[in-house]
Amino acid sequence: MAEHAPSAKRIQSETDALIAPGHTLASITEKIASLALKRRTPLGWFVGFGISFLLLQALLYTLAVLLFKGVGVWGINVPVGWGFDIINLVWWIGIGHAGTLISAILLLLRQDWRTSINRFAEAMTLFAVACAVIFPVFHTGRPWLAAYWLFPYPNTMGLWPNFRSPLIWDVFAISTYGTVSALFWYVGLIPDMATLRDRAKSKAWKIVYGMAAMGWRGSARHWHNYESAYLLLAGLATPLVISVHTVVSLDFAAGVIPGWHATIFPPYFVAGAIYAGFAMVLTLSIPLRKAYGLEDFITMKHLENMAKVMLATGLIVAYGYTMEAFMAWYSGNPYEKFMMANRMGGPYAVFYWLLILCNVLAPNLLWIKNLRTNTTFLFLISLVVGVGMWLERFVIIPVSLHRDFLPSSWGSYAGTRYDWSAFLGTIGLFLTLFFLFIRFMPVISIFEMRTILPEGEGGEPKS
Amino acid sequence: MKGLQAPAALDGLQKGALGAGVAGLLLCALGFFTNAEQLYRSWLFGFLFWTGIAIGCLSITLIHNLTGGLWGLVIRRLLEAGARTLPWMAVLFLPVAFGLPHIYPWARADVVAADALVRMKTAYLNAPFFLARAVFYFGVWFLLSHMQSRWSDELDRGVNYLKTSRRLRGLGGAGLLLMGLTITFSAVDWAMSINPHWFSTVYGVLFMVGQALSAMAFIIVCVARFGGEDPLSRVLRKEQVHDLGKLMLAFVMLWAYISFTQFLIIWAGNLPEEIPFYIQRLQGGWQYLALGLVLFHFALPFAVLLSRDLKRNARTLAMVAALVLAIRVVDLYWLIAPDLAGHHGAGAPGLHPHWMDLAALLAVGGVWLTLFVRELRGRPLLPVGEPEIKELLEARAS
Repeated sequence: MAEHAPSAKRIQSETDALIAPGHTLASITEKIASLALKRRTPLGWFVGFGISFLLLQALLYTLAVLLFKGVGVWGINVPVGWGFDIINLVWWIGIGHAGTLISAILLLLRQDWRTSINRFAEAMTLFAVACAVIFPVFHTGRPWLAAYWLFPYPNTMGLWPNFRSPLIWDVFAISTYGTVSALFWYVGLIPDMATLRDRAKSKAWKIVYGMAAMGWRGSARHWHNYESAYLLLAGLATPLVISVHTVVSLDFAAGVIPGWHATIFPPYFVAGAIYAGFAMVLTLSIPLRKAYGLEDFITMKHLENMAKVMLATGLIVAYGYTMEAFMAWYSGNPYEKFMMANRMGGPYAVFYWLLILCNVLAPNLLWIKNLRTNTTFLFLISLVVGVGMWLERFVIIPVSLHRDFLPSSWGSYAGTRYDWSAFLGTIGLFLTLFFLFIRFMPVISIFEMRTILPEGEGGEPKS
Repeated sequence: MKGLQAPAALDGLQKGALGAGVAGLLLCALGFFTNAEQLYRSWLFGFLFWTGIAIGCLSITLIHNLTGGLWGLVIRRLLEAGARTLPWMAVLFLPVAFGLPHIYPWARADVVAADALVRMKTAYLNAPFFLARAVFYFGVWFLLSHMQSRWSDELDRGVNYLKTSRRLRGLGGAGLLLMGLTITFSAVDWAMSINPHWFSTVYGVLFMVGQALSAMAFIIVCVARFGGEDPLSRVLRKEQVHDLGKLMLAFVMLWAYISFTQFLIIWAGNLPEEIPFYIQRLQGGWQYLALGLVLFHFALPFAVLLSRDLKRNARTLAMVAALVLAIRVVDLYWLIAPDLAGHHGAGAPGLHPHWMDLAALLAVGGVWLTLFVRELRGRPLLPVGEPEIKELLEARAS
């Protein structure tokens, strides 16, 4: 690999910003481990956790009401059978994708800059998947029967799910995705768990972290097995980034509803997922690095790279919108034309134009370097994109459904307070888990950060 | 810099290509006088295939401007030479422009008069607008390939490295945006509108990926042919060959992904306006080509390209690349020829390849290759202004 040396060196000196100067092996370990081991929990953590935990109660309350009264408490109706529930499912699943992309694909592409953000991006994936599955499961109305509807097993009534339906593919795609993401995250944590075990002061924590570390001693043999396992998991996780959102897009595209049935849906959904996911990583990492003083590790270079990925995927998404609009006209199909006219000028037109503003126009500001490297601006734009991606699913799902083929079955749709409380509640669940994660786990991979140290500071020679 | 010119072996290739091109053109001339309609249709096929490679070269160059990497520096001159043939392809587009009514039903007054759907689309599908768009596409491609070559040349001459490389990055960003739009709409215009009833929103993406794959396969064949000779051999290592192989594998998978999801969505929807496309292509002999695509455009290259050893060996990789290039021809034929052969719906014509299809492929290909070699020889074969290449050359010299 000697041939790569000049380019690696050049990139390092050009930006030298993946880690701030002056760090050593010890300072990295100390800095990251102390976040989890430090006794005093900052007051801000309690405030944030408290708010998130309150929101989580709203979710539990909503689900209790829903189970008691039925899914009618949500705003879904005929013809709009899919509303906030499916919007939120797609939104959360999409957000999860950036975690897998950062951890698996960027690892395979040998992108060093993934190192300081992969840990919490993976955690974000897990929590987002957890939030996502709540919606379809409770949408069934009787989730205790869901296993019976969703999983194919030989039962006495001889009933099988419809294997031609993408909805059943979803069950497999999402459960596989959740499993592999959890494994990937956990395997990545093992060496750091051992570091925390070794540094923990109290007996109880030593036992807890020690069990999580699964007897890791850091021997050469351990590292050898570890690296091959990690690479294999990365290889397994990579196709999942594509397959999960492809299957989600097929939930719509395989049907014949105008506005859903479009061949561009799979790649455009995948791009949209990465777009939303990177927006969420920025939304989380900008306050995180500020609050915990992690600017040395999550540098401007990281933020700028993520902004660039957002710009690129945002442009792909914009391409998707353009093709949908052009082909709706070009098809000559009256239903397609009506669908597009209804999106742009119907009762929900304001959502469509807000979507264009949030997802197409606003992110183009990221072409400007000064804006791309301004953390306040990046934070705001990441929120705008998060909202835009939610609006996108709103425009696709209820707005396509509320105008059926027959005008006699037209309807309208609005989320009820239980729709909103369920949505905000999953945000609460997500943030609660995230606050617990940053309190008790190393938010940045300690051992991987050590590998990107420059040679003179104790890092390994770059080969 | 001296000694960085393309190797002498190119002389033979250029002569061979020129001979093939002239022979192909003569055959096409013969075809023109026997069956002009068929010639126009066959010409479109040959034109789209080779133009696709040139467009793919331009797209990959622009992608590399953004991503960087030694793999792209090693092949940059090959890619740029491919992209610089694009203005000449505008000349080869002329037969298509003259043969519009023979190729595209929407360009015939009788079809338009009888078909309300086509009549509605004439707002977009009409000869003047179609030609104006073609001028626009070629204009954009000329501009991009010209600026790319000019700034790349400035790097060679050592003009302000930082500023020029920043310009190239900017060209990459803005250029890819333009490429996305021009490739999409040229695919709709030149290929999809052969059957003006049918449409698919992912069609443009299918062309982008297919063109990038063709270009990558072509470049790999070139690298295997000239990589062992001076000057390419001075910088080419197994790692770069490996990277090129990985990229080809990625494009193979991407092509399969887009093609399969398009098929799945149309099959599941089974709508009368979409499904005829696949019905027509899965009977009358076309189904064998479809099966061939599944096997040789995806299954086989995918399976063998998983091997690390194969990807690191330029010779074996080039064998796979040659297969991919050949099957790209079949893919394009399967995509456009069923509609070219006649007009859709029940009683669609079966697979009856015409000798002029091959003649046109040969004619355009011969001319294109001649131009490619000519462009390649005009400049040093390595971008010597790039520090990574400079270092490798100096390390080698010392």
